[in-house]
Amino acid sequence: MTSRLAWVALALVLLVALFVGARGDGSPPTDAERSARIARSVRCPTCRGLSAGESDAKAAVAVRDEIRRRVARGQSDDAIRAYLVSRYGDDILLAPPSSGVGLAVWALPAVAFVLGALGLAAAFVRWRRLTAVRPTSEDRALVAEARAP
Amino acid sequence: MARWSAAGVALVAVLLVTLLATREPAATQVASSALAGHAAPEIAGRELSGATLRLSSLRGRFVLVNFFATWCTPCQREHPELVKFTQRHLAADDVRVLAVIFDDDAANVRRFFAAEGGDWPVVADPRGKVALEYGVRGPPESFLVDPDGFVLTRIVGEVDADGLDRLLAQAGAARS
Amino acid sequence: MRPLHSVVGQAAVLVGFLAAVSGAALLAVGLLRDRPDLRRQGRLHVFVVLGAAAVAALTMEHALLTHDFALRYVADNHSLSTPTIYTIASLWGALEGSILLWGLVLAGYLVAVAHRFRHRAVDPLVAWALVVGQTTAVFFFGLMLGPANPFRVVAGVVPTDGPGPNPLLQNHPLMAFHPPVLYLGYVGFTVPFAFAVAALVTGRVGEGWLLETRRWTLCAWGFLTAGIVLGAWWSYEVLGWGGYWAWDPVENASFLPWLTGTAFLHSVLVQERRGMLRVWNLSLVMATFSLTILGTFLTRSGVLDSVHAFTESPIGPAVLGFFAVVVAVGIGLIAWRGDQLRSPGAIDSPLSREGFFLANNLLFAAFAFVVLLGTVFPLIAEAVTGDRLSVGRPYFDRMTSPIALTLLFLMAVAPALPWRKASGEVLRHRLQWPAWAGTLVVVASVVAGIRGLGTLLAFGLGAFAAAAAVRQLVLSARRQGWGGVVGRANGGMVVHLGVVVIAVAVASGGSFAQRRELRLLPGDTARFAGHTVTYLGTEEVHHGNRTSAEAKVRIDGGKVYRPALSTFPFATQAIGTPSVRTSLRDDVYLTLLSAPRSASQPAVIGMRVLPLTVWLWIGGAMMALGTVMAAVPGARRRRPTEPASAPAGQSVPSAEPAPELVTT
Repeated sequence: MTSRLAWVALALVLLVALFVGARGDGSPPTDAERSARIARSVRCPTCRGLSAGESDAKAAVAVRDEIRRRVARGQSDDAIRAYLVSRYGDDILLAPPSSGVGLAVWALPAVAFVLGALGLAAAFVRWRRLTAVRPTSEDRALVAEARAP
Repeated sequence: MARWSAAGVALVAVLLVTLLATREPAATQVASSALAGHAAPEIAGRELSGATLRLSSLRGRFVLVNFFATWCTPCQREHPELVKFTQRHLAADDVRVLAVIFDDDAANVRRFFAAEGGDWPVVADPRGKVALEYGVRGPPESFLVDPDGFVLTRIVGEVDADGLDRLLAQAGAARS
Repeated sequence: MRPLHSVVGQAAVLVGFLAAVSGAALLAVGLLRDRPDLRRQGRLHVFVVLGAAAVAALTMEHALLTHDFALRYVADNHSLSTPTIYTIASLWGALEGSILLWGLVLAGYLVAVAHRFRHRAVDPLVAWALVVGQTTAVFFFGLMLGPANPFRVVAGVVPTDGPGPNPLLQNHPLMAFHPPVLYLGYVGFTVPFAFAVAALVTGRVGEGWLLETRRWTLCAWGFLTAGIVLGAWWSYEVLGWGGYWAWDPVENASFLPWLTGTAFLHSVLVQERRGMLRVWNLSLVMATFSLTILGTFLTRSGVLDSVHAFTESPIGPAVLGFFAVVVAVGIGLIAWRGDQLRSPGAIDSPLSREGFFLANNLLFAAFAFVVLLGTVFPLIAEAVTGDRLSVGRPYFDRMTSPIALTLLFLMAVAPALPWRKASGEVLRHRLQWPAWAGTLVVVASVVAGIRGLGTLLAFGLGAFAAAAAVRQLVLSARRQGWGGVVGRANGGMVVHLGVVVIAVAVASGGSFAQRRELRLLPGDTARFAGHTVTYLGTEEVHHGNRTSAEAKVRIDGGKVYRPALSTFPFATQAIGTPSVRTSLRDDVYLTLLSAPRSASQPAVIGMRVLPLTVWLWIGGAMMALGTVMAAVPGARRRRPTEPASAPAGQSVPSAEPAPELVTT
C-alpha cells in the first residue's frame, strides 16, 4: 500500500518538474534566438550538409547576416526561408517542407512505425491466445480429488 | 506470412536498386536558377581600381556576371577563355564581362590579373551579399544578363569562349 | 620495365583472387558432391588469400614509404613532405587503398574462422560459411583487379613529388586508427552473415549457427561501435565546426549496420532462450551485411554529396550489383526455408524481458528506417520531381529523438524484467531506486535552471537507465564476487552505462553549446561563457608538409592553444585546424577564422564552449570495455539452450558449445 503511494508521489513530482521545465521562461524568442534558429534550419550554401548556423564559411556568414537583417525588419520565419529558397533553390532547406514530395519523408516513418507496432500487437494477441490456459471441468475435478482429505 | 513479407522486402529492394542505379553523381547536378527570366539583382561594389561600379550602368548590352576566386581551379582554367572571349567582342562591344570576387582577397585577385591578363571590371563582394542574391553555391558560376537587365541563363562551372559565343548568338537571335 | 611494386602488388592481388575463386569452387563441389577431401582442400585456400592480401598491403606500404611515384596511387596520394604516420595511413586514405584494406581484413577474418573451426573442417555448416566468405573475397579482389586497381602505373613521365593526402587527412593522428577499426567492424559482419547463409543452405536453422557466431558478432559490433566513435572524434578534432555528427551520408552509412546489428544482439537472446524469431534474426543478419555493402556504395559512388566523397569512383555499379545479389540471396534463402523456420514458441506477455526485446527491435528498426530514408530521400525526390531536396540535421534530430528517448526507457526497465512474465509488484520493487534516481535528477535539473522537455527527459531517463544498470552490476557482484561481474549480461550493463553517458553528453551539447566570434588584437582578453581567453599574436610556422598561420591563445590563464590556418602546397584553400582545450566539464574549442596580415590587424577567432564533450569519448570507451567484458565467459554459465528451470550451479566449463546441436 505504501509502495503504491510512493510511486504515485513519484509520478506527481516527476510530472510537475517536467511541466515546469518544459514551459521554459515563457518569454517570446529574442531576435538573436530567432535568427539562430532559422540559420540552423538552412544549409550553408558552400558546405556539404552543415547548417548556416554551424558553419564558419563566408557564404554561411552572408546567409546569417541576411537572416539577421530580415528578422530585424520583422519578417516571418517562413518569409525569410522563402526568400533563401528563391535564391538557392529548394535544397537550401535542411528539412524538406511537409507539402508535396517532402511529405513522404515525414509521413513514411510514422506509417511504418504504426504498422510495425500494430503487427507486434497482433502477434502478442495471437500468442496470448496460444498460451491462454483455461481450466476445463475435468481439470477442476482432478484438483478437487487431489484436495480431498 | 513470411512469403508476403519476403515479397514486400524484395519489391522495396528492387525499387531502391533501380533508383540508385539511375542516379547521376551529385557533383554534376545543376540546380535551376530561380533568377532566370527575372531582373538581375543590382550589383553595386567597389572595383579593383577603387571606383564604384553598378551593374545597371552596363545596361544596353549583354553582361556576363562571373563569380570567381583565385583559389578555385576551374576558375583558373576558365580565365584564359574569358580573356579570349572579351578580346573577340572588343570591337562589337555587344557584351561585357563583370567579375565578382567570391570569398577571396582583393590583393590576391590583383596579383592574379596582373599575371594572367584580363581587363574587365572586378567588383569586390566583402560580405558575400551579391553572391547570396544570385544564389551562388561556389565558384565559378556565371550569369548571362540581357541588355534590358534580365537574367537569361546561369552557368555552373567553368566556361569556354566558344560556348559563350554560341549562347550569345542564341540570345541575340531570340531578341530579334 | 614496369616498377617492381606494381608487378608484385598486382601479382599478389591476382593470386588472392584466384585462390579465393578456386577455394570457393573446391568447397562448393566438395559440398554438393559430398567429398570431404575437397572441402578440406578448399578450406586451405583462405590462408593463401590472406598471404596474398598481406603481400599486397605490405607492397603498397613499402611503395608509399619509399616514395615510389611510379605507382598512380602513390603519385595521387603521397608527397615527399608527408609525415611518416600519415604516409602509413594513406594506405587507406583513398578509394583503391580502402578496398585493399577491406580485402586484407576480410582475409584475416576468414583465416580466423578457418582456424577456430579447424576441428570441424568438413562440417557442411563451416564449409558453406567459408564458401560465402571466399565469394565475398572474390568480389573485393575482383574490384582490385578491375576498376579499383591500387597498383596502376603512372602513364608517361614519373613525377618526382606528389600532392600528398587530402589536407584534412593529414591533420590528426586519429586518421591512423579510425578506418582500420571501422573496417574491423564493418567487414566483421561478414562472418555471422556467412554462417546465416550456411545455416539456411544446410537446413540447420536452429540455434546452432547463432551460438557459434555469438562472439564473432559481438567482436564485429564492438569494433564498429569503436570505429563510429573514433570517426566522430576525428570529425570533431579536425573539421572545425565544433560538432561530431552531421548526419552526413557516410556517417549514416556506418550507423545503419550498427543499428540493425544492435537489434540483432538483443533479439538473439530471445532466440537462444525460446527458439523463436528465427526468420527475424536471419533477416537482421542479412540486413546488417547488406547495409555494409549499401553503405560502401553510397559513400563511394558519388551519388550523394558527402564529407567522405574525396574521390570520384568507378566502382559504383559493381558494388550496387553485389548489393543486389546479396539481398536477392538473402530473401531467396529465407523464402525457400520459410516453413522450416517457424517455431512453436510464443511469448506469454508483453510485460516480460522477451516482450521488451521485441519492442527494442521495433524501435531500432524504425531508427534504421528513418536514417536510411533520410539518407536516400534526396535521390527519391529528384527522381520524382526532378528537383533535389536536402534532408539534414533538423529532420534526423526531430525523428530520432523520440526513438532514442524511448530506447533509454526500455534500457532502464528491461534488465529488471524477468523472463516470460512479470508482475507489477516485482517490477515496482526492482525499479524503485532507479525511478527515484531519475526523478531526482529531473528535479535537480529543473532547479538548476535547465529547461527544455527533450533535455530533461534525456537526463531523467538516462539516470533511470544508469541506476538500473548499476543495480544489476551490484547484485551480480554481491552474488558471485568480482568474477560475476563479467559475462554477457553484465558486459551489456556496462555498455548500457556507456550509452547513457553518451546520451547525456549529446543532450547537453545540443542544448547548451555557445559560440562567439572574437576580433582580437595582440594582448586583448575576452570573457565568454565562463572562460577567459587572451590573444597573444599570430606566428607563421613552416612544417614539413604545410605552412600554418598559428594564433596563440591562452585559455583561463593556463596553457597556450594554437588554432591555425594551414596552406598545403597543392591545395587551393587554406584549411583550418581547430585547437581544443578539454576538461571534464566542457571543451573550449578555438578556430582561427581569419589570420591578421599585419600586427595591427585583428585576428578573428571563433570560440565555442561545448559542455560535457569529453564524455562522448569516455562513453565510447565504456561501450568498448563492456563489449570485452561481455565476450569473457561469466562465472556461472548454463548452456543457453537448456530450459530456464535447470538447476542452478550446473556450469559448462568449456567455452565452446557441443559440436552438433540438433535443430527442431
